[in-house]
Amino acid sequence: MTAPDEESRPPIIELDAVNFSYAADAAPALDAVSLRIAAGEFLGVIGPSGAGKTTLACAMSGAIPHHFRGALYGSVTVDGMDTCEVSLTDISRVVGSVLQDIDTQMVASVVEDEMLFGLENFGVPHDQIDGRLVEALETVGIADLRDREIATLSGGQKQKVAIAAILALKPRVLVMDEPTAALDPESSRLVFETLRAVNETAGVTVVVIEQKVALLSRYCSRIAVMGEGRIQIEGTPHEVFARATDLRRLGVDSPRTVRISNSLVKRGLSPAGTDPSLDVAEAEGLIRSLVPAGAADEMPASDPAPSPHVPAARAHAVGAEPVVELTGVGFSYGPGAAAVRDLDVTVYPGELVGIVGQNGAGKTTLTKLLCGLLRPSEGAVRIAGMDTADLPTSKIAAHVATLFQNPDRQICKDTVLDEVAFGLELTGTDAATARERARAVVERFGLPLDESPFVLSRGQRQMVALASVVVMEPEVVLLDEPTSGLDYRECMTVMETVREMAERGSAVIMVCHDMEVVSDFAERIVVMADGRILARGDAAAIFADEGLMHAASVEAPQVVRLAHRLAESVSPAFSIGVTEVADIVRITEELIHRG
Amino acid sequence: MVNVIDYHPGTSLLHRLNPVAKLALATGTIVAIFLGDTYAVLVGMIALTLALAASAGVLPQMLRLLRLLLPIALLMLVIQVLLVHAGTPVLGPVTDEGLITGGKACLRLLGVALPLVLILMVTKLNDLANACVEHLHIPYRYAFTFTTALRFVPVFSQEMDAIMEAQTARGVEYDSKNPITRLRLMLPLCIPLLISSVGKADATALAAEQRGFYLRARGSSFKRYPFAARDIAAIAVAVALIAAGILF
Repeated sequence: MTAPDEESRPPIIELDAVNFSYAADAAPALDAVSLRIAAGEFLGVIGPSGAGKTTLACAMSGAIPHHFRGALYGSVTVDGMDTCEVSLTDISRVVGSVLQDIDTQMVASVVEDEMLFGLENFGVPHDQIDGRLVEALETVGIADLRDREIATLSGGQKQKVAIAAILALKPRVLVMDEPTAALDPESSRLVFETLRAVNETAGVTVVVIEQKVALLSRYCSRIAVMGEGRIQIEGTPHEVFARATDLRRLGVDSPRTVRISNSLVKRGLSPAGTDPSLDVAEAEGLIRSLVPAGAADEMPASDPAPSPHVPAARAHAVGAEPVVELTGVGFSYGPGAAAVRDLDVTVYPGELVGIVGQNGAGKTTLTKLLCGLLRPSEGAVRIAGMDTADLPTSKIAAHVATLFQNPDRQICKDTVLDEVAFGLELTGTDAATARERARAVVERFGLPLDESPFVLSRGQRQMVALASVVVMEPEVVLLDEPTSGLDYRECMTVMETVREMAERGSAVIMVCHDMEVVSDFAERIVVMADGRILARGDAAAIFADEGLMHAASVEAPQVVRLAHRLAESVSPAFSIGVTEVADIVRITEELIHRG
Repeated sequence: MVNVIDYHPGTSLLHRLNPVAKLALATGTIVAIFLGDTYAVLVGMIALTLALAASAGVLPQMLRLLRLLLPIALLMLVIQVLLVHAGTPVLGPVTDEGLITGGKACLRLLGVALPLVLILMVTKLNDLANACVEHLHIPYRYAFTFTTALRFVPVFSQEMDAIMEAQTARGVEYDSKNPITRLRLMLPLCIPLLISSVGKADATALAAEQRGFYLRARGSSFKRYPFAARDIAAIAVAVALIAAGILF
């Protein structure tokens, strides 16, 4: 499917100079957006929080102007119909959409009934219904789930049910708003595989809003980058990621392999105009073509010095008492239910430890054992020298601060200042001191003191939650998926703040699905699977262990996988101490110059 | 409380009954409970409900619900006993008439709640809604509103649990032993819960509309719910129950 081919086909959705604001005096959420989507395309939309991505999806699906009121200018045409002139139901015959919060999408308790709902409503003849239902389930690959209760499905399975329920209606376009936001990497990949099948075999045009750049670049035929309500960059994944500097300015990350290839071009090692490498295979191909055959055979004269960017080991090792100590900890939710067993973890002040593993591996249970929401049924959990078995959760809170995935569950006060001061007051700091400390932290984060947290954006609410953690100056910081739902810039702010806390002596334990973030920030890693700890140790060594990664169903960061392949196909030089983009570039440069 | 009203799959006679016939059976039981004025009827109806639950294999869940309702029912008894002063005094302000009306009020509460919950345990919500639309000619939007409200109960309850966990981890003393303290601490959480509920309800409305909600008519349902002989029998039983309530 090439670009000129798409140009010639009539667009299935066309936006022409669309402006939209949710209220008369609000800043426009969409600002002069013009976009043509050709039939059969797989379009990815990316951009920082507040860029107007969800608004764009709503404009395409007809939710704007029919469900969300506001001021709309310009025209949105769906299959030749102006969306302002036809009803939402008529638009829905062409454009099927799946919302961000999958639980609100569901209307039934059993998969089959969920599938039937749309088919019945749109008056599909009853003798065709069963065929359509089976076909949709098979395209999505969940024929075996037909009689299952939706409440018993995993997040990834629910997402597929939602896709199948829309697909059965035979829409010509499928619009998805962040379908993988709540999923682990493997489920996310499977959802994108499903979307590819829907796109290729059922011929449905797919528009997907997504934050995970590596997925977008691998599956989409075209990418639109949004920023401040406008389409800033548009093109094939290769065209878009060639402009990494512009992307970074907009607050959009690039896959690590792209950073490598762009960096090689910048240093003159690869000719200008080289296509950015979108995945590990492309990057491997590029480097293999650059390194002369002779250089590849010999080992480098001297062992490369470890990269200066690797997080330096902190001064905890010598004589420090561990602040978190789990010995032989076991916990079960009931007979036959999920359980964790034999957990031994020791964390010292100033350490940043990542916990990785698939959904259901027991990571969340481990964090709940640490913050006292669960008590171990075997073994002991000691925090700052105290056994949690003897302490009420509210007392543990003075030592362990948790940053939850969803800030809205944490926020309950009327102003940002009250919210941030709340945790201190709860753990016994007097009100005046608490507010003084809270004020300093809130100001450091640049948040509005007297605003209600509920009117802030999702990213800012996460910052309020983070500020409430920082102000506690806790001995232990727990992070549960700290970066989910955040854009690249917000993600970096959170992680840099956490790193500073570690440097000031807090022990940080984070559960995180984003292996790039884990490998950038964590020094030590605990790998979990099926309620047990499979391995623990130095981040680089753990990620480099392919068998272990496979056993835990974890995909190692791109740089590690690339280094592994290069060590086999190009030069053993890549097998030593490679943890980040700069290492790959440096070794490649050495090999080229020597050759 | 949440998983109490979950659907429990099965193939018992009660499961296979037409949802409307099940509803008739529950209605018959409830009407009989209101009309009947003897302990025999009240206890009999509750026993019948429990027997039906046992036949459908959901007795353990029913008994769990009974345990949850018992404190409320006993509270009702106490209030009645304190309010009714007619009759012969038994002990202090307690009179025999107070005990009798109180006891009945307490049994009525259980007798009304249990059959309805039993229906929800053995009927899929969609079947209930579709059958009511087909046979009782209830407009679909009312049936949808009702089933969606029920479906949201566990969703909201999970949300509430998650909020409480997050607050507990911050140091709010939900683990306090004092129920008044716990209640006072929980009230502020109604605001985040309300905000997220309104958002969810709005999203559900949008999603339903985008899947042709407004096109739906009485004949839309793919599944049909014809009456079989057993359903007619069940409705006859319901009528008999009401008659029993009137007579005794």
